[in-house]
Amino acid sequence: MTDLTFNAVRKSFGPLEIVKGIDLAVKSGEFVVFVGPSGCGKSTLLRMIAGLESVTSGQIVIGGEDVTNTPPAQRGIAMVFQSYALFPHMNVGENISFGMRLAHQPRELIAKRVNEVADILQIKHLLDRRPKQLSGGQRQRVAIGRAIIRNPKVFLFDEPLSNLDAALRVQMRLEIARLHSELGATMVYVTHDQVEAMTLADRIVVLNSGRIEQVGTPMELYENPANLFVARFIGSPAMNLFPARVVADGALQLAAGAKPVAAHVGAAADTKVTLGVRSEHLAITSPEQAMLQAKLVAIERLGSENIAYLEAAESPDPVAVSLPHTTVPRVGEMLPIGLSGGVTHIFGEDGNRI
Amino acid sequence: MQAWPGVAPLPSPAVLIVGNLVEQRTRLWQIALLALPLAVFGLIVVWPLASSFYYSFTNWNGFGAGYDFVGFDNFAQILGDRLFFNAIVNTVIWMIAAIILPSGLGLILALLLDSRVPGASIFKTIFYLPICLSAVIVGQIWIWIYQPDWGLLNTLIGAATGEDANFAWLAKPGTALYSVIVAWSWQQTGLSMVIFLAGLTAVPSDLLEVSDIEGANTFQRIWHVVLPLLRPATVVVIALSVINSLKGFDILYIMTGGGPFNSSDTLAMHMYNESFKKYLMGYGAAISVVLFLIAITIIFFYFRQLKKVDEIYD
Amino acid sequence: MTSAAPPRAGAGGFDAWKAATLAILIILALVFLAPTVGVLLSSIKSTRDIALGNLWSMPNSVYLANYIEVLTNPAVHTYMLNTLLVAVPATIGSIGLGILAGYVFAKLPFRGSNLLFLVLVAGMFFPPQVILIPLFRLFNGLGLIDTLWPVIIVHIGLGIPICTLLMRNFFATVPNALREAAILEGANEWQVLTRVALPISLPALAVLVTLQFTWIWNDFLWPLIFTQSDNKRTIMLGLVSLKGQYSVAWGVQGALSLIATLPTLIVFLFFQRYFIKGMTMGAVKG
Repeated sequence: MTDLTFNAVRKSFGPLEIVKGIDLAVKSGEFVVFVGPSGCGKSTLLRMIAGLESVTSGQIVIGGEDVTNTPPAQRGIAMVFQSYALFPHMNVGENISFGMRLAHQPRELIAKRVNEVADILQIKHLLDRRPKQLSGGQRQRVAIGRAIIRNPKVFLFDEPLSNLDAALRVQMRLEIARLHSELGATMVYVTHDQVEAMTLADRIVVLNSGRIEQVGTPMELYENPANLFVARFIGSPAMNLFPARVVADGALQLAAGAKPVAAHVGAAADTKVTLGVRSEHLAITSPEQAMLQAKLVAIERLGSENIAYLEAAESPDPVAVSLPHTTVPRVGEMLPIGLSGGVTHIFGEDGNRI
Repeated sequence: MQAWPGVAPLPSPAVLIVGNLVEQRTRLWQIALLALPLAVFGLIVVWPLASSFYYSFTNWNGFGAGYDFVGFDNFAQILGDRLFFNAIVNTVIWMIAAIILPSGLGLILALLLDSRVPGASIFKTIFYLPICLSAVIVGQIWIWIYQPDWGLLNTLIGAATGEDANFAWLAKPGTALYSVIVAWSWQQTGLSMVIFLAGLTAVPSDLLEVSDIEGANTFQRIWHVVLPLLRPATVVVIALSVINSLKGFDILYIMTGGGPFNSSDTLAMHMYNESFKKYLMGYGAAISVVLFLIAITIIFFYFRQLKKVDEIYD
Repeated sequence: MTSAAPPRAGAGGFDAWKAATLAILIILALVFLAPTVGVLLSSIKSTRDIALGNLWSMPNSVYLANYIEVLTNPAVHTYMLNTLLVAVPATIGSIGLGILAGYVFAKLPFRGSNLLFLVLVAGMFFPPQVILIPLFRLFNGLGLIDTLWPVIIVHIGLGIPICTLLMRNFFATVPNALREAAILEGANEWQVLTRVALPISLPALAVLVTLQFTWIWNDFLWPLIFTQSDNKRTIMLGLVSLKGQYSVAWGVQGALSLIATLPTLIVFLFFQRYFIKGMTMGAVKG
């Protein structure tokens, strides 16, 4: 399979710059997920790989070839659209074989390849049906089939699961993962759902306002977010952030006059920082060990665990704390909350980790 | 309410009344709102349609109220009427021309205009403009174009061939009908174009992007993707063009009146002549019955095609 | 949406396709424009000028006497007034009835309402000849021949199918939730129609007003059937009858044609900004 490289890629629509200088190297056979909030440029980037959007400056290289000015059909890519984009007037077989028929490939070859692809995706029984007669998941498979039959160097997925209901989404996620391990192809996948990103990706590219915030494996992003944006974006519930001040020996003071939290922050005293702690690294402690006192405003009972949301002066947003499913404090209670597990993240005033 | 043993208790009266009231009120509004439109429609369209059938069995002459029943005499006369068959042939010619000329040209214009050329909106206005003109004015303009001595057509032909051209387009039986049809198409094309343009905006852009990725060139894209997805619009355009050709009267009246020597006579014109020139209203009604049957057939095929199209596209 | 030329990566520069398309379009545009331009040119030339030169050539000077002749002709005034007296009430009437019927079919359907709707819409497809004779007899019997009333009434009736079609298609796009919310607030159907549905249907109304007014103003057949005296004629009939008076005064006829088209142009220009979206509604699915 092939690798994909972005060199200083920029994209503007008129005066508006959407992609502000992307450098990225995707390894052969990797499953890379572009993730980020709406408007961050992830779809634009994907469409630039496909050739559906032009590149304002920079280069896109696929398999060692500069494809920046090559038409989409000659780049060796295949794309699965969010809306599946199946031709309503063709049946499944014709949809899948569309590209081959355009290229006037021999009929026997087309039939053979369509059958192979239909086998992989288990849609052989649907070959004569029209898209209107298929369910969402089936349409999705046909769209993937149309991509597979091209033997592309890079597979592109544009939020393919957004139109599916929750249960189907989980099922299709597994199928796409299975597909990747079977084909071993280079895949670039765009989603706004960080759960999809975490579960499918070999590496995740977090994008924000046209720039890369961080690139790394899911666990790297989860355990070592490079800045506040990534810290908040990855992980559900989002990481709790506490503004704090560095005091003597690197300890942190969350509020004026409060007991400092033991830490080893390598910054000068009086520096303003942000302390980040995930919900599973906070717990209800004894008052002596507590970092802060917070009032319970809501509790979500998920079955396997509970998430408590508390109001505290130390944090502008509600503080999320993971609790065992048997612990059910009362709404309105003041609870002592402290660190548990010793995993904290410190971010400087510029938002980057220290 | 005390329940009888073994019998389910009746719902309380309040529930009964409220349930019915909402439906009653809705029903009242349906009647109130539909009454006037349906009444006027019934008076102007439905009743006259039925009456035409009735009068086709009479020999009413347009004056006074008296007439006799003549049974199928009018229809028998139609079958022997040379002018009638002449009119049918011309009508069919016009309908076929309607399918090809304004529809085809409208499609081509729409495809051309859809491709982001500069000044597209100016072009659209130019092609759409003739629709705003009345048929009378269109007819008048084209009379001037077809004028034997100084008409635009002959002037251009003269300039192209270097010889004086003074062919009398509207006065020669062989060309009169086609000349009118061309003038009519000049006006009808804009309408087809507008409908096709609307249909083109309904083509999903990601289907076009897929065809790009799959390597389709412009012709392949138009043939495999755009045209099939234009089928709903195509059905509308063809039906509309054919129906309008059937209705074509004003422009014919102005340009040739059905002549010369009935060479451009259509069913609509023939019916008018028989009814209001010869005052054979009964006979005219019979011709209008034939018109009605043709129209019904077209409507039937139109709705059937719409249904077929509906099954594929959602 | 463009279907003929989606953006291409790295295309840039001269596009042969676009140039060819533009060339063809220019040629076709000239062909389409020529007839109208010819009339315009003829209207500003004197009859002598036309006789000497050509109807179609550029004039030496702008000759406005044709327009003055037309605009001061009392017969023309009568014709235009008659047409106005027909077009305005008929437009309002047909659209009003179309709104009522369209609302019911869109928001208050009942068993068989779809079939009734189709029957109504089918009314658009019939050549007027099939209802000509009974209507003539009806209005003759009522003594209304040679007045404007039959023309108005017939146009209201004939306009119901298209007005119902467009309004129903438009009202169908109004979310049911809006109506239900209004009903919960105590509105009855009439109030929902007038205060909720109608105010947001301006684009569709703009399209309808333009379509109906143009169609009725330009109509020839019904005034031909129902009027006889000259002072009852509409402008399109007047155009034909004045051909006798202005037999070779082509310039005057040209000016008359343009004056006769002016009202529909004004209506079109006035409502154009309201119906950018309205045109596509219901146009494809019928």
